[in-house]
Amino acid sequence: MTISAGALGTIVVIATSIATIAPILLITLFIRDWKRGRLW
Amino acid sequence: MIIAEDVAILPEGIAWGLLIAFSILWVFLGWFLGRKNKTAEDHMLAGRNVGLALATATAMATWVTANTTMTAPQLALQLGVWGMFGYSLGALGLILFAPLARRIRELMPHGFTSGDFIRLRFGKFTWRVFLVVSLIYAFGWLVSLAMAGGVLINALSGIDYRVGMTIILAVCVLYTLLGGLRAVIGTDFVQTIIIILGVAFIAWLTIDKVGFEAIHFNLMEERPELLNLLFPAAIMFLFNNLLFGVGEIFHSNVWWSRAFAFGRSVGFRAYLLAGLLWLPIPIVAGFVALATPALGINVPVADMVGPLVAAEVLGLTGAIVVFIVVFAALASSLDSLLAATSDLVTRDIYRGHIRKSASQHEQFRATKVIVVLLGLLTWAAASYRGELPIIGSLAAVLYFTGAFVASAIWPVVAGLYWRRANPTGAALSMIAGTTLGLVSYFVIGFYVAALVGAAVSLAVLVLFTWVAPRDFDWRSLAEAEPRDTAGARGGIR
Repeated sequence: MTISAGALGTIVVIATSIATIAPILLITLFIRDWKRGRLW
Repeated sequence: MIIAEDVAILPEGIAWGLLIAFSILWVFLGWFLGRKNKTAEDHMLAGRNVGLALATATAMATWVTANTTMTAPQLALQLGVWGMFGYSLGALGLILFAPLARRIRELMPHGFTSGDFIRLRFGKFTWRVFLVVSLIYAFGWLVSLAMAGGVLINALSGIDYRVGMTIILAVCVLYTLLGGLRAVIGTDFVQTIIIILGVAFIAWLTIDKVGFEAIHFNLMEERPELLNLLFPAAIMFLFNNLLFGVGEIFHSNVWWSRAFAFGRSVGFRAYLLAGLLWLPIPIVAGFVALATPALGINVPVADMVGPLVAAEVLGLTGAIVVFIVVFAALASSLDSLLAATSDLVTRDIYRGHIRKSASQHEQFRATKVIVVLLGLLTWAAASYRGELPIIGSLAAVLYFTGAFVASAIWPVVAGLYWRRANPTGAALSMIAGTTLGLVSYFVIGFYVAALVGAAVSLAVLVLFTWVAPRDFDWRSLAEAEPRDTAGARGGIR
């Protein structure tokens, strides 16, 4: 039983999309913590 | 295996430029962030009030190692789609540690190391067994990270393996020495952003330039087993890796020191979010290896496949991006491991066994000496890559430690949640689990060591506790530390 090209592509695209969004989320959290004085 | 200079993809001048520029950046950041450290708690635990953004990033960065960016492609090449899916299950370690981090902070508000917990919870014999397991794992991980650094630099630029490995190790030792955990966490944030953006960039361009249809077609022609969803060794690897990841995180002081360092309500959310964001990284990093048949790349050594594919698809840009990403990934993990292991050695070996009356000031100085010694030991072991029977490839080193860490999962979980857990059973479960896990590593394969270690450990612990349950008062974990904390406040200035 082999994985299809479509299934492989879907999984990889979803994973890559999450990885692309992650830095944006982290920077947003950083700015929020910084404004609240809660970085450290 | 060393790649000759004539097949190197990155010109040596550019490689040296990147090495020098990023070395200066990390050391400067380490010094800058750590310059306000006033106490041992500042140095070892960053003041115990780290916020959500930095906490999430440091958990992610530490778990995204050079092993993730280089071993995930290697495993995809060897075990196919299950190789990269299995590696991504390592995220469960972070996710499952989230409730443990909260409980650790509640039970031990003044704790410093995982060793502190095991000593107070199970007594000295179990503590010593735990220290052996934990230190062997930490050293194995350190060596595999240093090896990854040397391999990357050699593969991309032709710079000698030992020279590259030495530079990366020296830089990490220097800035960890200067700034302690505050420097480690601060640099981790920058490194996380670089790593994720770089990995995603390479994946998007590989998708764009090669395409899934071409990748799938060529794999079916040349390596159809890599697309097989019923690949037995790969499925075994999947479960093994899950337990390996859980074992690594549950027992290691790298993660415990962060649980102590994060703000009171931050630990749970930070580990959960870090796990969810880490989950796709091995798939993104590993997938590029599946493009090798479509690209017609000849891979001389499996652990070099990631950089080779990136350089083939993106040329000089790819080589530069991979170089920066892996340098950041290496630094983010090496610094964490150096800091956490030096804390463990300082608190549990130096103060616990050698100089029990050591003041906080003496411990602070000892931590710095131990960071340097750890760096030297790691350098010596990594220098002999391929010349010792076990130290052969990145994956081999990494999974050799699987038997050790998986055998520590249940003693840690039982220690935190099972009031009647038997202390002797906890020690013997680690000994038996590690022993049989290592036997399975050599007799069956690297992909079952953690599986066997965890299963045997669970059986021994449950059996001993069933036969001879021991009661425990959780409050003693919190009561035992204030004496030390009072010393910390009055000591180092």
